[in-house]
Amino acid sequence: MKDLNWYFPKSIAEAVDLVQQGKIFPHAGGTGLLSRGFTGINGLVDLSRLPLHYSKIENDSVEIGSMNTYAEAVSVLMKVDPEHILVKSLRNSANTPLRNRITIGGSIAYFPPWSDLMSALLALDADVMLIGENDGQFPVEEYVNDKDVRDKSLIIAVKFNLSNWRSYHYRDIRTKSDYPAFNITILLKQSLNKIEDCRVIIVGTGKKYSRLTNIEKYLINRDVGKINIEEIEKLVEVKFAGKRIDDPEYSSYLAGVELGRGVEQILRGH
Amino acid sequence: MEGVFTVNRKNRKFTFTPDERLLFTLRENGYTEVKTGCQEGECGACLILLDDKPVNSCQVLTASAIGKNIKTVKGIGDLHSPHIVQRAFVETGAVQCGFCTPGMIIATYALLRDNPDPSEEEIKNALDGNLCRCTGYVKIIEAVQLAAERIKNGELE
Repeated sequence: MKDLNWYFPKSIAEAVDLVQQGKIFPHAGGTGLLSRGFTGINGLVDLSRLPLHYSKIENDSVEIGSMNTYAEAVSVLMKVDPEHILVKSLRNSANTPLRNRITIGGSIAYFPPWSDLMSALLALDADVMLIGENDGQFPVEEYVNDKDVRDKSLIIAVKFNLSNWRSYHYRDIRTKSDYPAFNITILLKQSLNKIEDCRVIIVGTGKKYSRLTNIEKYLINRDVGKINIEEIEKLVEVKFAGKRIDDPEYSSYLAGVELGRGVEQILRGH
Repeated sequence: MEGVFTVNRKNRKFTFTPDERLLFTLRENGYTEVKTGCQEGECGACLILLDDKPVNSCQVLTASAIGKNIKTVKGIGDLHSPHIVQRAFVETGAVQCGFCTPGMIIATYALLRDNPDPSEEEIKNALDGNLCRCTGYVKIIEAVQLAAERIKNGELE
């Protein structure tokens, strides 16, 4: 057994001080940590007793504390928007006991390639609220891509706006409890017969995630009646690395098909 | 490390290593009704209630559960005074090899506590983290429905 110290801070400030020492990691739900292992970790900071287990909805702004589990986040959002993309993505993620354990903050920090949370948060242009080396509100995308933003900071909450997106979430799984090989989030806003705005994110690609801007460009301002699903499928250019679950080429083909199906389902309800 | 836990309403002090999983701490301290299965959070054999929520004890580091409430299947009912859910599992023949049963009971108990009249779909969702290699789930779903019906009819839990 390696040397591993546990810390049980009584305040967020105390937790931040510990995390800033380096090699001391926050422990939220712990599922990601168990999967990652303890290499390079000298200490764990238990966050479960800190006031990070809250949610606030004011007007259209949603703030979910980082220690909320997937199940709790679904429960919060079900009350205001049962069709919300995070309801669709998190309600089916993993399984019931794991949804009671995986936290929003831990999942953002860990960002596994099978994450059902991150495609939705990236598509929503969500922000993370940090405290520590970096204090303040940062786009999730910046948090994911910039190690300097992530380092020695604690995630306090995630924030996003409720908006009238029509949404679709796809998990590429073989059995219900599989880790998805990839997952897709599509958000669309329609005004009369035209697509007004659109976001398409695939998580699980070689670059961890891809925003399919070519498909967004194809769809935005296009008359709904002139959307050709086969054209969308051909526009999907994503590269999957290795053979985590499927052959990368097959995954890429499948992503195209599922993306086309997703757009069709949002627009035509089937 | 040492810590005090409330297991089945009794305070217990356990000694464990910092990277130990709750599943093994419980088993080493006599709670062998918590079964060791996949150890990856997939099968539900090690399901317990942690602060009233069903979680896989193989996915919980023991230190993170210090001071918390733990309930195993024996905390719900035992041979001498079985819980309504346990009786329903026996009566419907939902138990074959029995290895998955403690987890199934815990998942069902948590479901019926929050939703006493679940649809079949809701039952399947609530048991989505519990694998059974014997029954094909038909009898298990029947058991949950029987327990729900009895609770609805006011039978004592």
